[in-house]
Amino acid sequence: MKILVPVKRVIDYNVKARVRSDGSGVDLANVKMSMNPFDEIAVEEAIRLKESGKASEVIAVSIGVKQAAETLRTALAMGADRAILVVAADDVHQDIEPLAVARILAKVAQEEGAGLIIAGKQPIDNDMNATGQMLAALLGWAQATFASKLEVDGGKARVTREVDGGLQTIEVSLPAVVTADLRLNEPRYASLPNIMKAKKKPLDEKTAGDYGVDVSPRLEVLKTREPEGRKAGIRVGSVDELVGKLKEAGVI
Amino acid sequence: MYLNDTQLQVRDMARAFADEVIRPAAEALDRDERFPAEIYDEMAKLGLFGIGVPESMGGPGFDTLTYAVVMEELSRGYASVADQCGLLELISTLLVRHGTEAQRKLLPGILAMQQKVAYCITEPEAGTDVSGIRTTAVRDGDGWVLNGGKIWIHNAPVADLGFVLARTDKEAGNRGMSIFIVDLHAAGVERGPKEHKMGQRASQVGALTFTDVRLGADAMLGEPGRGFHMMMSVLDKGRVGIAALAVGIGQAGLEAALEYAGTRMQFGKQIAEFQGVQWLLADMAKDIEAARLLVHSAASKIDNGQDATKACSIAKCFAGDMAVARTADAVQVFGGSGYIRGFEVERLYRDAKITQIYEGTNQIQRMIIARELLKKGAQA
Repeated sequence: MKILVPVKRVIDYNVKARVRSDGSGVDLANVKMSMNPFDEIAVEEAIRLKESGKASEVIAVSIGVKQAAETLRTALAMGADRAILVVAADDVHQDIEPLAVARILAKVAQEEGAGLIIAGKQPIDNDMNATGQMLAALLGWAQATFASKLEVDGGKARVTREVDGGLQTIEVSLPAVVTADLRLNEPRYASLPNIMKAKKKPLDEKTAGDYGVDVSPRLEVLKTREPEGRKAGIRVGSVDELVGKLKEAGVI
Repeated sequence: MYLNDTQLQVRDMARAFADEVIRPAAEALDRDERFPAEIYDEMAKLGLFGIGVPESMGGPGFDTLTYAVVMEELSRGYASVADQCGLLELISTLLVRHGTEAQRKLLPGILAMQQKVAYCITEPEAGTDVSGIRTTAVRDGDGWVLNGGKIWIHNAPVADLGFVLARTDKEAGNRGMSIFIVDLHAAGVERGPKEHKMGQRASQVGALTFTDVRLGADAMLGEPGRGFHMMMSVLDKGRVGIAALAVGIGQAGLEAALEYAGTRMQFGKQIAEFQGVQWLLADMAKDIEAARLLVHSAASKIDNGQDATKACSIAKCFAGDMAVARTADAVQVFGGSGYIRGFEVERLYRDAKITQIYEGTNQIQRMIIARELLKKGAQA
């Protein structure tokens, strides 16, 4: 079974995001970019399935700017077998929307004959949380989102999902789309020998046009602004004063 | 940025490992002077030992610049851990360059740290001046008999294999020394107590005494009489490694000081708003960056096959002095807290001091720089 893992190049989680002066979005020029952390978890899960003999090949796919090749190299260094880069934008500030990404991924999955797609539950940049779901719908496959545990057995997958009330375990027939939540696993570090070997692994470069998908945006960003700064607090001298203030504020 | 994608990928991995695994453990390791075997196991699995060992010999085959980048990141986590990486880099470089096929078979076990190594040069009468060593290896049948004593040897209390510099010809000066691979569990090897050091306290350092230790015919590394030369041939790389380690200590100090200055309130505002504190932070940042660039430049010279002696001495000397001066600034930013055990900057200041001493004191580095200047001119 082939596993397809979509990975997104996003602003590194350590970077303090700044809004561009024209308010069109977050400034991504000359900013450290990394693989979306949820996608890293997805890659790890796919590699583990391969290591346990449940999968034959792990293919990482990224859709975006050319520089996403670096993100794919990270997936290859972690242990993915090969990678596909679908160039769909020239400008690092152009975000490809979930529907377009899902359409391209659906084509790739069909071309490759993938039996399972493991995606991050959402990217940490726009938090859309939509691509996995749209992809399952387009393919007509089962979906199991927010996975914190995944067991593959024959033609089925048993998935524990992190839902609002607690944990829910479902069984889906393969092929299916699974989206990874934070607790699914702890991704490995890429070892130095594997980073070296990843340079020689195949990375195919395609364009959105190769899949006949129109990636022009359907959403218009009207304004982006930074969150309000937190107002300074006050220091209270006693518990009584604290209780008084809380009553004043109408919270107790 | 002149680092390529692969070097950046390695840097990011080493940085994440240092942040998540090494740095959180550093305070306890320093306090307990403990050998962090569990961290070394993980590092071995990640290929962080023997970074320059070629792929044909089972290593990742990275260049000196990548090695320097890794050393800085590991040291940012904890200098003792980086120093173990530096030690294994030197030993593996010696084995790759000079080892027989049989001796190179030791590499996988050494890099996995199943066989811990010690690089045994220094003696009571021979520190910076290596020519003063008194340890001897005398021919006996097809092997040798080793006698003498080594001090301040990194890993001595825990090591399995010693790479020991010994005199094989009393008359031949620097050409009369050879390096031997010695089983440190053999009869006649005695270990002194662990030294209690000022800094880098997770590094286990002590003395080794050899009394009539019998060495087999295959114990010598490389050619007889070439020990001093072999040792010198890895010095440049060693100095770049220690210089990078010093930069990592400085960087950790800057990060800690910057964070503290942004949270510590005095006179109703963050101390980062005071110009006096800003100047400390600015001096730290500029000297760290200068040292880093010197390290990368020296490493690149080695990789390009250029004469790197002066560049390596400049990098080592500048970075070591910088680390001591700028971690002192980090302590200053922390004020009284910086003088208290348990605050990272207090440890960093202690960890920094040895970078002016080991791998050739900074006085010797200045002698080398001057010698190179006088020999080759100011523009070389």
